[in-house]
Amino acid sequence: MKASIQVVICNCCVCMPSLLDVDRLIRMASEAPMVVSVRTADAVCDGKNLSEVVKEAKEREVDRAVVLACHKHDVSPALFKSYGRAGVNEYMIEVVNIREEVLLPHLADPARAQSKAETKLAAALVRVVLLKPLAKSSEAMRTKNVVVIGAGVAGQAAARVAAVAGAHTIMIEKTGKSVKAPGVLLNNTQVIGAKGYGGNITLRIEAGQKEEELECAAVIVATGGGWGTLKGPLAKACKDAIPLYKMYEQMQSGSLPSGPVVIVDTPDPTGKTMKVQDYAWDDALETAIDLKKRAPSTEVYVVFQEMRAFGLSELAYKEAAELGIKFVRYDRSATPKIDSKEPTKLVVKDFSQGELLSLRFGTLVFASIPPNKDNEEMADALRIPMTMEGSMRRGSIQRWPVTTPRPGVFVCGSALFPKSREVAKVEGEAAGTMAAEFVRRGAIEFGGAVAEVSQEKCSACLTCIRTCPYEAPFIGTASKAEIRTQLCQGCGMCVGICPSKAIDLHHYTDDQIAAETKVLLGGDF
Amino acid sequence: MSERKPKVVGFCCERHGADAVVLTARTGKQYDASVRLVQVPCTGRVDGIHILEALEKGADAVFVLGCLEKNCYYDTGSIEGRKRVGYVKSMLAEAGIEAERVEMFNAASTNAWAFPEIVSKMVEVAKRFGPIVPEGERR
Repeated sequence: MKASIQVVICNCCVCMPSLLDVDRLIRMASEAPMVVSVRTADAVCDGKNLSEVVKEAKEREVDRAVVLACHKHDVSPALFKSYGRAGVNEYMIEVVNIREEVLLPHLADPARAQSKAETKLAAALVRVVLLKPLAKSSEAMRTKNVVVIGAGVAGQAAARVAAVAGAHTIMIEKTGKSVKAPGVLLNNTQVIGAKGYGGNITLRIEAGQKEEELECAAVIVATGGGWGTLKGPLAKACKDAIPLYKMYEQMQSGSLPSGPVVIVDTPDPTGKTMKVQDYAWDDALETAIDLKKRAPSTEVYVVFQEMRAFGLSELAYKEAAELGIKFVRYDRSATPKIDSKEPTKLVVKDFSQGELLSLRFGTLVFASIPPNKDNEEMADALRIPMTMEGSMRRGSIQRWPVTTPRPGVFVCGSALFPKSREVAKVEGEAAGTMAAEFVRRGAIEFGGAVAEVSQEKCSACLTCIRTCPYEAPFIGTASKAEIRTQLCQGCGMCVGICPSKAIDLHHYTDDQIAAETKVLLGGDF
Repeated sequence: MSERKPKVVGFCCERHGADAVVLTARTGKQYDASVRLVQVPCTGRVDGIHILEALEKGADAVFVLGCLEKNCYYDTGSIEGRKRVGYVKSMLAEAGIEAERVEMFNAASTNAWAFPEIVSKMVEVAKRFGPIVPEGERR
C-alpha cells in the first residue's frame, strides 16, 4: 500500500502544559513508514496558522494526515478547509485528541501519559493508511417551497419570516382561517403522507375530497395544541374548563368569567400526573392581573407546581400579590382533583403548608393547552419520532430547539409543549428562518461517511429496514437491500446489526476499528 | 517486576460520549491512564466482533459509552448498543468468561463526573479478574 502521510502536532494542545516529550513524538512520527513530513504548528484550529503546513503538504504530494490536537469537532472545520486547498480529502485526515484524552486527565503520571500518547500516534498512523477518500454528492432542490402546516400563531410567524427571506410559503390549515401572512393559504386541507427527504419532499395532501401531491423543499410543523389528547380525570371532571387564551379573548370582548376563577397547570396528556410544564407564566400572570383590575371582587387563584416568569415579567408576582391574587403551590406527588361530590370544588394539597385546600370555582382555566392530537398523525406522516409526552422529538433541545431529527423538517409552537403566544411566535420565527436558510442553499449535500450494502452478501432479511431510525435502507429492484444515501446519517446501526455482515460504514469499517484497537492494546501504559 | 497494568478498551460514541470525555478533561478531572478509547460514530455501530476481538487481543475489560437512551443523537442508537453488549455478555458466559468484563454505560454530554466513575469501575473489574489468557500462553 502506498501512502504519503503528514503528521502535524499542535503546539498549544500537545505542549501546554509541558508534560509530554514532544521531541520523542516527532522522532517516532518521522521514523514511521510512509511519513513524508512532520511539522508542528500553533493552534491548528485557526486556518491562518496552517499555511506553512499546507504548503509543505502540496510540495510533498501528501494524500493523508494525522493531526495531534484536541477535540475533533473543535479543530476540524479550519483543518478540513485548509487541507482541501492542498487536495487532501477530508476523510483522509485523522485527528487524535491528545489534549483531552491524554494530557489533561493524566497530569499526575507523565511517564504513562507519554507512553499513551505514543501508542495513540501509532494507532492513528495505522488507521490513516486504511482510510479511503470519500466524495460527497449533491442534488438540486426542485422547488423553493416551504410548507407550513398549521396557520396558528407560530405558523403565521414562521411563514412571515420565511417569505421575507425569499422562500415560497404555502400554509396548510385544517380549518378555515384568514391570515395576514404572505404566501399561499390552503384552507380545509390536511397532510396525509409524505415521501422523500429534506430538500425534495413530496407531501400528499387531502383538499376536500381530492388527494393531491405537493412538492416542497422544507416543512414547518406548527400544528399547535389542542384538547384532543387530554385524558386525565381532571379534564374529564370539568368539561367546561377553558384554556387561558380563550378567557383572554372573552375578556377582550367584554364578558368577564363568572364566580371565583382558578388558573391551574396544564394537565399531562397521559392523564397520570400533572407535569411541570416548561412554558412562560407571563401570560397567566398578566391575564390574572387584568381580570382582578376589571373585577376586584372576583377571587382569583393561581394553582401551580413550578412557576417561571421571564425577565421583567417577574415584577408581575409582586403586583399580583398586592392585588390580592392567591397563589397555591402544590406538591408533585398530589395531583389537584375535582371533589367527587361537588363538581365545582378543586382539592389541592398545598406544598408549603401541607394542608388540603378546597377551592370553589366558577370558572376553571388551564394555563395552556397540551400538544394537539394531530401531532401524532403528522409525526406518522412525516416519520418524526415522538417523545413520551406526546410531542415531537427535537434535534437537540439546547442547540437546535426547532429542528427535528429529519433534516429539512422543522417544528415550532405548541406542537412541542404548552407555551404562551409570545414564545410560540418567537419559535415560529426561528423555524421560519431556519427553513428559509435551508431552502436558500439550493441543493442538498449528502454522502461521505455513509453505509453501503454489498449486494452479493445481502440476504434481504429486512433487519436493517426495521432498525434504521431514518428509513434509509430499502429493498431495491434486485430484491436486495440498498441504502438511500440522501437519508443516511452515518450512525452505522444497520452495520452492527446486519446478520449477513453485508453492510459497511465508510470511514468506520470493521478492519479500521479492529486495527486501531489492536495497536492501542499493544501499548504498555 | 512491576505490577501488571490493566488494559481497558472503551468504545465511545462520537456524540454525547465523546463530549462527556472532553468535558471531563476540561473540568480537570483525573482518571486511570489504562483506558484506551476507540471512537465510533454511534454505539449502534459497535458490533459483537469488535468487543470480542478487543478481548482476544489482550483487553481485560471493555466498555461501551453512549448517549443517554432518551436523548440519543441517533434516536435509538444507544439502545441498540446496549442490546449488542447484552448479546456479547451472554456469549462470554457460555464460554466461561466473566460477563462483568463487558459493560454498557450512558452519559450526557454535560456530565463531567460520569466518565471517571466508569473508568474506575472498569479498571477495578480488570484488576479483579486479571488477563483472560495469561501473558505467556497467548497465541
